[in-house]
Amino acid sequence: MGGERLIDDPLSVITLVPLAVGLLLMILPRVLPESSAEGLIRVSRNISIGVALAIAAITTLLFLGQWGSIDWTNITQGGYVLQNEAVDLIPAIGVTWKVGADALSFPMIWLTAILIPISMLVEWDAKRGHLFFPLLLIMESALLGVFVALDLFVFYVFWELTLIPMFLLILLWGGEDRRYAAMKFFIYTFTASVFMLIGILVMYFHTDAITGLGSLSGHHFDLVAMTAQDNLIPSEGLRHFVWILLLIGFATKMPSVPVHTWLPDAHVQAPTAGSMLLAGVMLKMGAYGFLRISMTVFPESTIEFVPLLIFLGMVSLVYGAWVCMGQTNLKRMVAYSSVSHMGLIFLGIATMQPLGIAGALFMMFAHGIISPLLFAVAGAFKHHYHTLEIGSMRGIAHHSPWLAAHMMLGWMASLGLPLLAGFVAEVAILIAFWMTYGWLVLLPALTLIVTAAYYLNSMQRTIFESNDPDQGILPDTLHGENPSDLTWHENAGMLTLAAMTALFGIMPFIFWDMMSDWSSGIIINTMIEAMQTQEWSP
Amino acid sequence: MSSIITDMDLATTQLILPELLLLGGIIAMILVPNLGDATMRIPLTRVRIPILIGGTRFASINNPKLPNQIATTVLALAFLTSFLFLGEHGEVGNSLQVDEFSRLFTLLFTAALFLASVATTARLPARPRASVPLDTDSTTHSDAKVNALIDNRRQVDFHILLLTTGLGMSLMAMATNLFMLFVCLELASLSSYILVAFHKETDVGGEAGMKYFIVGSVVSAVGIYGMSLLYLWNGSLDMANLAASWKGMEVIDPFAAIGVGLMLVAFGFKVGAAPFHLAVPDAYAGASSPIAGVLATASKAMGFVALMRLLLVVTMPSAGQASWLLVLALVAVVTMTWGNLAALTSDNPKRVLAYSSVAHAGYMLAALAAIGSGLADSDTSALIATAVVFHLCVLVLFKMGAFLVLSMLEAEGRGHRMEDLHGLARRDPVIATSMFVFMLSLAGVPPLSGFLSKLLMINGIVNVSAGTGSASAATALSWAQGVDPVFWLAIAIVLNSALSLFYYLRIGLVMFFESPDTENPLVHSPSLKMAIIACAVLTLLFGIGPLSDSLLDMVGSAVDSFMRS
Repeated sequence: MGGERLIDDPLSVITLVPLAVGLLLMILPRVLPESSAEGLIRVSRNISIGVALAIAAITTLLFLGQWGSIDWTNITQGGYVLQNEAVDLIPAIGVTWKVGADALSFPMIWLTAILIPISMLVEWDAKRGHLFFPLLLIMESALLGVFVALDLFVFYVFWELTLIPMFLLILLWGGEDRRYAAMKFFIYTFTASVFMLIGILVMYFHTDAITGLGSLSGHHFDLVAMTAQDNLIPSEGLRHFVWILLLIGFATKMPSVPVHTWLPDAHVQAPTAGSMLLAGVMLKMGAYGFLRISMTVFPESTIEFVPLLIFLGMVSLVYGAWVCMGQTNLKRMVAYSSVSHMGLIFLGIATMQPLGIAGALFMMFAHGIISPLLFAVAGAFKHHYHTLEIGSMRGIAHHSPWLAAHMMLGWMASLGLPLLAGFVAEVAILIAFWMTYGWLVLLPALTLIVTAAYYLNSMQRTIFESNDPDQGILPDTLHGENPSDLTWHENAGMLTLAAMTALFGIMPFIFWDMMSDWSSGIIINTMIEAMQTQEWSP
Repeated sequence: MSSIITDMDLATTQLILPELLLLGGIIAMILVPNLGDATMRIPLTRVRIPILIGGTRFASINNPKLPNQIATTVLALAFLTSFLFLGEHGEVGNSLQVDEFSRLFTLLFTAALFLASVATTARLPARPRASVPLDTDSTTHSDAKVNALIDNRRQVDFHILLLTTGLGMSLMAMATNLFMLFVCLELASLSSYILVAFHKETDVGGEAGMKYFIVGSVVSAVGIYGMSLLYLWNGSLDMANLAASWKGMEVIDPFAAIGVGLMLVAFGFKVGAAPFHLAVPDAYAGASSPIAGVLATASKAMGFVALMRLLLVVTMPSAGQASWLLVLALVAVVTMTWGNLAALTSDNPKRVLAYSSVAHAGYMLAALAAIGSGLADSDTSALIATAVVFHLCVLVLFKMGAFLVLSMLEAEGRGHRMEDLHGLARRDPVIATSMFVFMLSLAGVPPLSGFLSKLLMINGIVNVSAGTGSASAATALSWAQGVDPVFWLAIAIVLNSALSLFYYLRIGLVMFFESPDTENPLVHSPSLKMAIIACAVLTLLFGIGPLSDSLLDMVGSAVDSFMRS
């Protein structure tokens, strides 16, 4: 690629550079002469965090319009900005390197770019740092690749590529039971995505030939062309079948009940940075894929299966919230709250209202800031108190005021306190749900009270309640040592996340406008027609 | 035969240059180690002329490494020449057809054998400085010396067999006559039986070779019986002739049907299809790892060439369902499921790889079954055949690569228990990473080449079948009821891939997360290590990007020439 094209094509750069740097950082120490382990880790960490920060800066500049001067609020649904000229990858079967962003993917791209340096900050002194930081860079590449790819083959490759760094993160830096969790995580999500692959292949061979592509097969993987092709799959039954195959892949990733069981195990065992990325970005891949492929390409099937979406959403929401109540493990509780929040995304989509879909989009983004904060807090709790049991200690506020403050803010944001990011999404979804389904809204609304109950309960038990005002109760795992507060790097990472939570709670319009545009677009362009053909009314 | 010899002009020589090179290698292997300074006196004179054979060997060739060097060079040359003359095609004699298809398989066979030959430097090492044990040596010391001497002595045997295997396989890919095909197949098979039993001093080696030989020869006999029935029916074993007669049949002739069925048994054994696969894991476990790798890649590819000739050339009807569809589809599902279930319960890495090889045979049979469904137009059939051949090609990289890693362990007398893989990452991180890449590729994880080939096979199956569901079906369920059963083969592959993840990941896990019995670095063998790294890198490069595209193109045009024949 020439120099000029690189500047024209920032999405390819931010996707591929971390992968290249990450692999180099892993290989180079084996080739170069021996240096001290300490120095190696420091170099590796500095380069990794430098690259990650540079990418965060690039995406921020892109968003602010400083680079490429893009008007983000004016992208029509179905159109993409920052598209590159397609580069042939495997032209014989119609695979090209084609990237682009729109209001659906860009908030996710920005979120990924911001979360990676933050998670590096939080795990500043990870063991075996010479592997840890490059692995996070590779993870960044894989995640960005999922969101920028406009070719389903490349999309699937990145989708699966996210598994490998996460698998290694859990295995190499995980907790006691990491092998079980890593295996379960890999096999569960891999199997589900292979079903999705069959769905993609059925779509693939229904595509019309594009000249110069697919010399061997006569088909192509280009998502934009697939979306544009009228009536991609003529048989209605097959269309529904493909939709279900895709849903298996997406719902497992989200995850939705009943295929959520890998999540709590993976979260509890994963290292802090791993949990942060898992909850912050990887779960959103499911919702992203659903909106990008299932909903856009198969609007009729989506309408047909709205009752299924409501059912899955409701069950995830209610079940997740109730199970949360019974958890004593901090990470497990946050994991189940994620399941519950992901249920809200399905409900938002099922409203078939611009407001509801925009709410779902904003929920993806807001949960992407809040849950990493919660996991960072949980990780720090484990780091400083050597336990994750909620009841094992009282009065964190006394010993570790910073930790307590972040914990408090994170939980408040997660239960939907106004002026914090989560509130905007929840309110939007609930209003849209009421507009479409009327009093059925009581079920999700009441569940939010359950959410508030379990957070307030844990808050009271861990942060405040103390039998002895001078001491609190310290967990046995501390073995009588004095507890410490957050280190500077943990605090820096969490402060950034906390600031973002507040920023997007007070000024949601930063992203809300473009999301709401996109949502109106998809309803007007594709869903209304589908509603008419399916004779659907709520 | 006379025609071949008299017509041996330059063009023909060029056509079969790789085979001639292999033949030359075999002759050289016999002659070169025997070159010496022997002379012969011309009778009645005092003039002595050197005759070179016999006498005291020349110092320069008195090197036990020589056979390995000859074999490696010859295989590399054969690979290069078949690559250079890939586009050449023509007929040799009346029963050999050189085209891109056969050339591609020559490439595949020589590549696999080349890797095996490289691995042999560590697995069956020749030691130029081996000495005769002294009386003062301890028992173990003298045993080691004796073993080294034995290893030196059997270098020639091993490498000759390696080359004859290559010759047989390569000729087999060209055969257009069933009889020729079978003779070449047997040349390769008989050599491989001996190679499996080569380490006869070990407990398992002899048993494995014996088992493989007995089952193999019984199955060959069955195949030859089937062939004789076909001959009775048709009067000729030329495949084009057979195909014409098959297509001309109004009702299926029992002679022909039984003949083809019995031949399927023979070829099914070669590819390791259930229920004829039972000797496979024993053979792999008993053979040395490089040879097991050859069995899993080259020998399997040979079986698939024979199957494709029989199924797609001879007995494929011009329209409609092939008569063998149901049998093949059932065999495919049973093979993949049986292979994966057995691999799950196995504790010997070589057996795991053997059963995984059985499972892979099942995937490829399922793809062939999709061609037989008669739903595919010629383009789609070609695409599916391309997928199968592509899979066979890239298997050489990651299946062979995995066996090469095991052969490194075997060189130190390990590699038969899962525990031997424990902590490999600590002993040699590069090798362990490569092994992890091979496992992921076998499991079909993108962007590795194993994913691309599996995707192409599933795509082929979905492609021919998913359009068959009733177009008017309004619900997913009614569509699923109406779809051609071939579609469920794709689902079977997917479920089996999920099952296989357990054992592939397990190998990855134990390498990285268990502590090894010993911290010693692996046996030092730079060439083998280079070969393993090259395999791992190519596994990635053939999965995505320009290299995979050119290989796909190559395979695509090879399959075109096969379909035209």
